[in-house]
Amino acid sequence: MSTTATATSRTAPPQSSLAAPSAFGKFATAFSISGPVVYCVVQYFNYPLFTFHPATDRIVWGYEAARSGEGPNMLWYGWSATTILIAAALGVIAMMLPGRIIRKIPLSLVWILPILAIPYVIYSLNQWWTLAARQ
Amino acid sequence: MSGLISTNTFWTLWLFVHLILAVGLLGALTHQAVAVALPIRKPAGGIVSRFRAVSAPGYATAVCVLWVLTYIVGSYIYTKYRIAIRIPLEAQHFYKTGGFFDFKEHVATLGLVLLPAYWYFWKNAQNPQYDNARKGVTLVLAVMCWFLFIVGHVLNNTRGFAS
Repeated sequence: MSTTATATSRTAPPQSSLAAPSAFGKFATAFSISGPVVYCVVQYFNYPLFTFHPATDRIVWGYEAARSGEGPNMLWYGWSATTILIAAALGVIAMMLPGRIIRKIPLSLVWILPILAIPYVIYSLNQWWTLAARQ
Repeated sequence: MSGLISTNTFWTLWLFVHLILAVGLLGALTHQAVAVALPIRKPAGGIVSRFRAVSAPGYATAVCVLWVLTYIVGSYIYTKYRIAIRIPLEAQHFYKTGGFFDFKEHVATLGLVLLPAYWYFWKNAQNPQYDNARKGVTLVLAVMCWFLFIVGHVLNNTRGFAS
């Protein structure tokens, strides 16, 4: 019985879903699918895990605006760290989900979502393009 | 380090390390992307065919390691860039250059988060279920890598080595 089921699944595998993945496969796919979305959300709502002040080498948890006389602040490190933590958490959750749910995730999202994230990223840099257009 | 080499030399060396890692990454990803997009069916003949005929799965781990190393070194250099490069760029109204550098940093992180799935798909290269996703994510990473490299190169020309 089980041999038949295995043979059937091998001859006609679903072409675009995560069929019978390992635990790492579930984690990796969930991490990579959620990563670009989480990054855009984290950047939009400005949730850096920490803020780095390069002129003074000071690191502060969460967001902190640039302080007068201390140079600029850097948020990109914090955004990236927040993204990795949240995507990893979602990956761990995916590892615990039953296979029937995981199999419904289209694998093409792994490469489609980062492409869809690009227009948002360009829009988020609008301050640069506005300044350039004013010249 | 300050007693041995100047600050400029110190950061220039790190920029060189970043460049060397990036060149390795670009080469590996381009080989792999061409091999996966235009797979060769018969033994290699000319240089283009040989370029396409590489064993693509063998590059996956190297690409992941190189992406992470390039990312870490780039992140380190970024601290210096923010003070010594970006502020003068803004003062000289190089807004597009500054904007594209920020764009580059975002793309680098978007690429970083794709690596686990990319690696998993390539480690299961014998599984046809992953063929389309593997091809897609490899091509996306290759395009990202070329973008990162070109922007970094242009920025370096604007205000890079020894400036």
